Amino acid sequence: MTVRHRVGRLLAGLLAVATVVGAAGCGADDQALPDHRIPADPPRPVGMRDPAVVPSAATNSPGSCNPRASLRPTGPLPPPRQMPARTAMARIVQRGRLVVGVDQNSYQFGFRDPLTGELAGFDIDIAREIARGLFGDPDRIQFRAISSADRIRVVKDGTVDMVVRTMTMNCERWQEVSFSTEYFTAGQRILVTRGSGIESIAQLRGKKVCAADGSTSIRNIAAAGTVPVSVVNWTDCLVLLQQNQVVAVSTDDSILAGLAAQDPNTQVVGPRFSDEPYGIAISKASPELVRFVNAVLEKIRADGTWTRIYNRWLRSLGPAPAPPKAQYRD
Amino acid sequence: MAAVVALGVLFGATALVGVRQRAALVRGVTVRSGELLVAAQNLYRALSDADATAASAFLSNGLEPPELRARYQQDLADAAAALTVVSAATDGRSIAAVARITARLPVYSGLIETARSYNRQGLPLGVAYLQEASGLMREELLPAAQELYAAASAELDAARDRAAGFPWVATLFGLTTLGALGLAQVYLTRRTNRLLNVGLLVSTGAAVLLLGWLIASAVAAAVYLKASRDDGSAQMNLLAEARIAGLQARADEALTLVARGNGAAFEQHYVVVMQRLAGADGDGGLLGEALAAASDQPTRQAVEEAIAQCRAWITAHRQVRALDDRGEFNEAVRATVGPGDRTTAAIFSRLDEALAQAITHNGQRFEREATSAGRALTGADVGFVALTVLVLAGAVVGMQRRIVEYR
Repeated sequence: MTVRHRVGRLLAGLLAVATVVGAAGCGADDQALPDHRIPADPPRPVGMRDPAVVPSAATNSPGSCNPRASLRPTGPLPPPRQMPARTAMARIVQRGRLVVGVDQNSYQFGFRDPLTGELAGFDIDIAREIARGLFGDPDRIQFRAISSADRIRVVKDGTVDMVVRTMTMNCERWQEVSFSTEYFTAGQRILVTRGSGIESIAQLRGKKVCAADGSTSIRNIAAAGTVPVSVVNWTDCLVLLQQNQVVAVSTDDSILAGLAAQDPNTQVVGPRFSDEPYGIAISKASPELVRFVNAVLEKIRADGTWTRIYNRWLRSLGPAPAPPKAQYRD
Repeated sequence: MAAVVALGVLFGATALVGVRQRAALVRGVTVRSGELLVAAQNLYRALSDADATAASAFLSNGLEPPELRARYQQDLADAAAALTVVSAATDGRSIAAVARITARLPVYSGLIETARSYNRQGLPLGVAYLQEASGLMREELLPAAQELYAAASAELDAARDRAAGFPWVATLFGLTTLGALGLAQVYLTRRTNRLLNVGLLVSTGAAVLLLGWLIASAVAAAVYLKASRDDGSAQMNLLAEARIAGLQARADEALTLVARGNGAAFEQHYVVVMQRLAGADGDGGLLGEALAAASDQPTRQAVEEAIAQCRAWITAHRQVRALDDRGEFNEAVRATVGPGDRTTAAIFSRLDEALAQAITHNGQRFEREATSAGRALTGADVGFVALTVLVLAGAVVGMQRRIVEYR
């Protein structure tokens, strides 16, 4: 009987051990809860650089010239569709439409109206006036959206008849293409939040100021002692200003006007601290087209069309100034 | 005799505990790890889909199509639901990724809504906000979701390995018990001059049966579990990765157009993602891998359909780019989201549909195999108890009688 007893005790003991081992598998719930902190950094536009890389100084322009001086028109404008034979204008009329390279990304200058998908803006309206001069119809025009880097190439290889795309005339570019007379005078200024009390670039010393990557604007604001922040597109600068990541945006007032027009809480302030005359780029092989375009520009300066277009798009820069005066080299 | 009984008890107990743990682990594979993987996958997909859908909605000038808006909202709801599941199931290591998504998802949706209201006013600022939102998605949210997905995938593999392990300890005790029973038999034969002891014979038979059952059930479960990986979750992973790559390429295509000539960076990303999806020539990449790994007809068919649609997409995308690069923006948009079934949107949705189908199908296969692994263990616990009792009873009764006879 003692044997049976011992067996019984052994069995009980082993079963108890097995039960404990089995129960140990179910984990204990005595762990502390994790402690976690996430910094509330503002989101950043893709490609933003803070601080920006400041581009090196521009290569000195070859020779000195007056970049504003263009070719003088030959007499009054010919009537629409009756262009002198064997000219670039006659070929365009023959083709039935004017082909113009434009921007689709500068609000108020050349942009896609998101509601219609059509191009609109100051540059677009100027180009339409030239189509009106050729055809008597501003809609006989085909726009080609081009990038800033392609502006000279498309004029030289004949992809477009002309480029109307916030293009600054300078002596270096005059080597490659011809320009019309000046149709808009731009200059670098600053865009700040309304009521910020900032009125000039001098007040931005040591503060963050936004400009587009690789632009000459960055060089100018870095020289003024600010901390430049760069982004890929100009509109990203307005995003940063709205998100309080920068205190100002600085570039040509033509671009700032487009930004200010999108947010009534911002304004363009201070004097211009650079001089950027905009011209229409045309192939060097068609001087007669340059003269024709200059004649159209003379007309719209004189009859108030220029002022009407200015007021349509650039009201955020203040009342329309007098149109830029034409200067000629011959 | 005490030694034989002790060994028998140890054998029975380890076999029983082992099989119960294995059953729990297998259940863990199907119920917990499997579902965690599905939730992590849903999270990753929903976020990628939100990115692609938000960008596509911007192509339609001002007023986004209601179905795209609904899809975007569904994506956010899906992501939030999946995130809840993942955060409930995840262990300490992944908690940082969960916290990152939880903190940044509202920021993302805020940027999208800002973008949307500017877009409705016809301001290009909307596109800038859309791009910032997409950047946040790609640089912070998607990597965190990917991290969670990888962790869930690793957890499933680890759980599966644990559930498929060989029952070494129980087997060792089993063999020792058999050895001890043999020795007892020899000892009793010598003492009693009887050739066989019926009690011990029954005990030995029961021990052999128990050992055989133990090994067979473990091996069967391991085989089913391996099938649940090879014919289920491994293919599901590959297909899900392909689907997410497709969504990213779709987002890139839309963002390139929306950027109105400033979208070179998105187009470059499209090229990279497309290469990952379909290889350099359209029949490699993730889809090629998925086709090579496809182990049944429905999967093969779905992947072949996906590859065909992907080829069509690459051709259609080239046309879209040619139109947009020529400055014919409205034509490019029509070729992307316009009416008809040759637009890239239509082709993409067929690609996405084919992959979704294949993923669902392989998810079902995974579940089937994992359930079979569990079924290989059913009844084992009751059987093991019965056999252990038989082993012990046989040994005790057999030896007791002889000992009593000769005392």
